[in-house]
Amino acid sequence: MAVSFRAQQKTNQRKTWFLLGTMFVALVLMIWAIGTILNFQAYLLVPIAVGISLVGVWTSYWKSDTLVLAMTHAKVVQHEDAPQLYNIVEEVTMAAGLPMPKVAIVDDPAPNAFATGRDPEHAVIAFTTGILRVMDREQLQGIAAHEMAHVGNRDTLVMAVAATTAGLLAVLADMGARMAFFGGRNNNSNNNPIAQIVSIVILLLAPVAALLIRASISRKRESLADATAVEFTRNPNGLRRALETLAGDSTVVQQKSTAVAHVWIESPLDGKSKSMFDTHPPLSDRINILREMEGLPPTEAA
Amino acid sequence: MWIWIVLAAVVVIVVIYVVSGYNRLVSSNVAVDEAFAQIEVQLKRRSDLIPNLVSTVKGYAAHESGTFEKVTAARAAAEHANGVAEVAAADGQLTQALRGLLMVAEAYPDLKASANFLSLQEELSSTENKVAFSRQFYNDSVRSLNTAIVTIPTKFFVGMANVKAREFYEVPEASDRNAPTVSFE
Repeated sequence: MAVSFRAQQKTNQRKTWFLLGTMFVALVLMIWAIGTILNFQAYLLVPIAVGISLVGVWTSYWKSDTLVLAMTHAKVVQHEDAPQLYNIVEEVTMAAGLPMPKVAIVDDPAPNAFATGRDPEHAVIAFTTGILRVMDREQLQGIAAHEMAHVGNRDTLVMAVAATTAGLLAVLADMGARMAFFGGRNNNSNNNPIAQIVSIVILLLAPVAALLIRASISRKRESLADATAVEFTRNPNGLRRALETLAGDSTVVQQKSTAVAHVWIESPLDGKSKSMFDTHPPLSDRINILREMEGLPPTEAA
Repeated sequence: MWIWIVLAAVVVIVVIYVVSGYNRLVSSNVAVDEAFAQIEVQLKRRSDLIPNLVSTVKGYAAHESGTFEKVTAARAAAEHANGVAEVAAADGQLTQALRGLLMVAEAYPDLKASANFLSLQEELSSTENKVAFSRQFYNDSVRSLNTAIVTIPTKFFVGMANVKAREFYEVPEASDRNAPTVSFE
């Protein structure tokens, strides 16, 4: 194998930590900027903003299994409802050494799948009726392994942390801008003009930067899940062929809500062209990494 | 005064070091036991599927008695196997016998089309996969324990934790392993 899944896992994990670190740096800069523009009492904003973003993101994180199931109209199935699918998921849990998640089916003709839940004990893996129709057993095993990898890598938690921080930056920027506008400044604030300008720039740019970093973390977690899926099945072929089927399919899940877009294996929102705001790496890149693991030459699209 | 603080800090660090090394060894050892138990659960499940499968195939191909006897004998042998090497060998035997049984089924179109056979076949192939994945997981657990036993710092606590290097689950026949399939188009 030209590229090992272990090397892939390592770089993606390292990049995630680096990106999360960058987000926290942005947060510290934001707090400094608010203190500079406004007076020091403005620091009182921080706990309020933390409260707001925590309440929003963490309830949805904690209840992610039930919430996402309700939002996508997924139906939880048992072994007797869908024996083959249930078996495939059970096989992958053996390879991963993780508890059996709930298995759900979403009635949607577009082939797609997702995983959610706050920890492996509350995990849910859902498949659309479309994906069950177009994929063979080995491909479904690859997809199930990718979703199980999200569960094992705690991606719901990672993305909740990223979302909280991005949300926090947005709330702080918003409050800071309003207070500066309505005359919250007084003589206690730093009057150095350069510090003032830098602070305003931070106030404006940090929330956008946070969104970009969040999208970037999401892409790294997708690549990591592909590599971890190969660790589970030791078979890049199934997942690679599954992604090729997804790439060749133009139907998109009807559920286009941004709230759950990031959880799908193939993003329903990302456009055809590459963008910094994409939550998933381009399918052609993911396919080529898997081809490399199989010792195959890359396809033309790379 | 300072000397005592430094001494206390050194003691705390040493204790943390020993405790974490010891715990790592003990928990890897437990993980190996759990992984082996999982293989046995899956083997048991496969074993439980066999009588049903044999009787279904018998209904269509009664005269293939040699194949049935082989499966039944291999199943009985597998139930009495003990220890990693013996279980692994019996597992390989039974896999072979079952493969023979499914080959027989190939020759009977009515059997192959029956809903009962199809569902048994799905359960059997899934259980084969589960066996393969649980032994892969077992071997990974053994690898990490065996590595910890010979590498520093965990190496120093082997005696204290009372753990030994464990045996890999080796399938007699190479093609049984869950090897990556590489296709050359």
